[in-house]
Amino acid sequence: MNDHDLANILMVDDQPGKLMSYEAILGTLGENLIKARSAREALDQLLRNDIAVVLMDVSMPEIDGFELAEMMRQHPRFQKTAIIFISAVHLTDVDRIKGYRSGAVDYISVPVIPELLRAKVSVFAELHRKNRQLERLNSELEKRVEERTAQLRENEDLLRERAELLELATEAIIVRDMNGALLYWNAGAEALYGWKREEVLGKSVHQLLQTRFPTEYGLIQSELAKTCQWEGNLIQFTRHGHEVVVACRKALKADGKAVLEINRDITAQLKAEDALRKSERLAAMGRVAGIIAHEINNPLEAITNTFYLLRDHPSLDEEARYYAKLGEEELLRVAHITRQTLGFYRESRHPVQVSISGLLDEILELQMRRVEFSNIHLEKHYRSTGTIQGFPVELKQVFLNLIGNAAQAMPDGGTLRLHVFKPQGKRTRTGAVCISICDTGTGIEPENVKHLFEPFFTTKSTKGTGLGLWISKGIIQKYGGSIRFRSLSLAGRRVTCFQVILPDVDLQEIKDHSFASMTVPLEDMAGGAIGV
Amino acid sequence: MAFDSITILVVDDEKIPRMLRCLILQKHGYRTVAAESGEEALKLLANGGIDLVLSDQMMPGITGTELIRAVKASSPDIPVILISGVNEIPADASCADCFVSKAGGPELLFKAVEEVLAAHGHIC
Repeated sequence: MNDHDLANILMVDDQPGKLMSYEAILGTLGENLIKARSAREALDQLLRNDIAVVLMDVSMPEIDGFELAEMMRQHPRFQKTAIIFISAVHLTDVDRIKGYRSGAVDYISVPVIPELLRAKVSVFAELHRKNRQLERLNSELEKRVEERTAQLRENEDLLRERAELLELATEAIIVRDMNGALLYWNAGAEALYGWKREEVLGKSVHQLLQTRFPTEYGLIQSELAKTCQWEGNLIQFTRHGHEVVVACRKALKADGKAVLEINRDITAQLKAEDALRKSERLAAMGRVAGIIAHEINNPLEAITNTFYLLRDHPSLDEEARYYAKLGEEELLRVAHITRQTLGFYRESRHPVQVSISGLLDEILELQMRRVEFSNIHLEKHYRSTGTIQGFPVELKQVFLNLIGNAAQAMPDGGTLRLHVFKPQGKRTRTGAVCISICDTGTGIEPENVKHLFEPFFTTKSTKGTGLGLWISKGIIQKYGGSIRFRSLSLAGRRVTCFQVILPDVDLQEIKDHSFASMTVPLEDMAGGAIGV
Repeated sequence: MAFDSITILVVDDEKIPRMLRCLILQKHGYRTVAAESGEEALKLLANGGIDLVLSDQMMPGITGTELIRAVKASSPDIPVILISGVNEIPADASCADCFVSKAGGPELLFKAVEEVLAAHGHIC
């Protein structure tokens, strides 16, 4: 028993002799004995010390034992302090003692039997000690609970912070259990796939996303089980039925009960790579076309010149001149073909005078021979030649694209109407040309309107690159022009009109030729090969 | 014809096309002088008597456009026509008075020659 655990025993008696005898009796307990000669002294000691038990004589001058007990009970600190009265046994005293409702109270009758007194004091001292220990433990426990609560709160904040960070990720972050049931679905997943978290939790992830795996699913599972991770590209479908390609990283949780999936949308990236490959192919085609043009045109010129020299040669008879004429005519056709096709890919870096109506006729001459145009009635309303400064290949690309789209919108035939005129409005610059291309085809669905000029947006599924209108708009903007469209129903027929306004500006000042290197193969623009 | 006072310098590294180009121009009434390189053309020009230069673009040594620049520097009054097998106007060909494609045929060439001469004050 250390000092800390010693109980204070307060002995109150007005007679010093009695106090000395109590001291002698209780001394062997080894507790800390405090003496008080009066009730006042006792109160003073009570206030100064943590008293385990008060041993008091009932009969004392001034304030007797009962009065002291009464005073103690009124003080909250002493309400439970143990009191042992020492008194001659009177029935009235016993009754009064019993009258105390709270706190430990006992009495000892005189003459005091030492063993009894020791036993009673020792019980109360022990009780007090136990109570104090309990209190200490309680407060320690409370402190620990507080600490733990603070720690939990901190952890909770950390978790919330982490969860918020997960929400910031643009990748779709998904957690699923081993049956595929979704446990977590971040904001990135909501944005990519279109479903809200509350709609998908608990559902089967692969059923929901109609996932297509690059290899057998069993192989992925076994690799995941073996190495705890897997990486690969998946094809999935969004809520709106759009196909997306995602770069997927799977990781198995340490307890083997859940799989974390981080999916990054690489659809646009793959399309861009594809477009780049196509444009590289185009550039290569352009180089080849240039070489072929050179190789064909050189002997072509020589032969054409030979026939020119043969023509009207005095040594030829009529039959020979006829043959020479036939040969010359056929050569003209070859020259025409090389001009029309092999010259298509390249062009000058200097703008030239371009007649838009002439350009449209050139496009139509080739396009109208195509089978797609066989049921299409053509109406031309040229009120101006629409001559501006420009780059013929770029402009040809714009109108070939618009005319190609119009034709594709009319698979069952219809009317293609072209207008070329000078706009008269105050806001348009002088010299501007307005071109409108109208078809009576299937029209443009309202939900597609705002996406029409976005790159990679196409309604032609496998046939279109989704770049045609985007590139066209880029070219038109380079000229400082504008493109707009309307699709409406007129007298039960759907009419879709694209209107292009091109100002006649000095293009020498325009340095940006990025679009010249971004040309898309003509067959892609129009959806098929060019027929001659 | 009234063109016999006009002398055209025909420059091309390939012999047969050069010869045939000279022949059709002669048949059309022009006098021709032939050079098989840009270097030779510049020497012939220095001798004088040339009214117009008709040069091929792709040649070993001095190219067509380089020749044009040299002509414009030494004899700015002599018009130059660039002829090329590629259906494009070379990037630096704006110094030429006219560009003609080899696929254009003799008539287009004559037209180009006449227009360029007219622009330079030759009345044909």
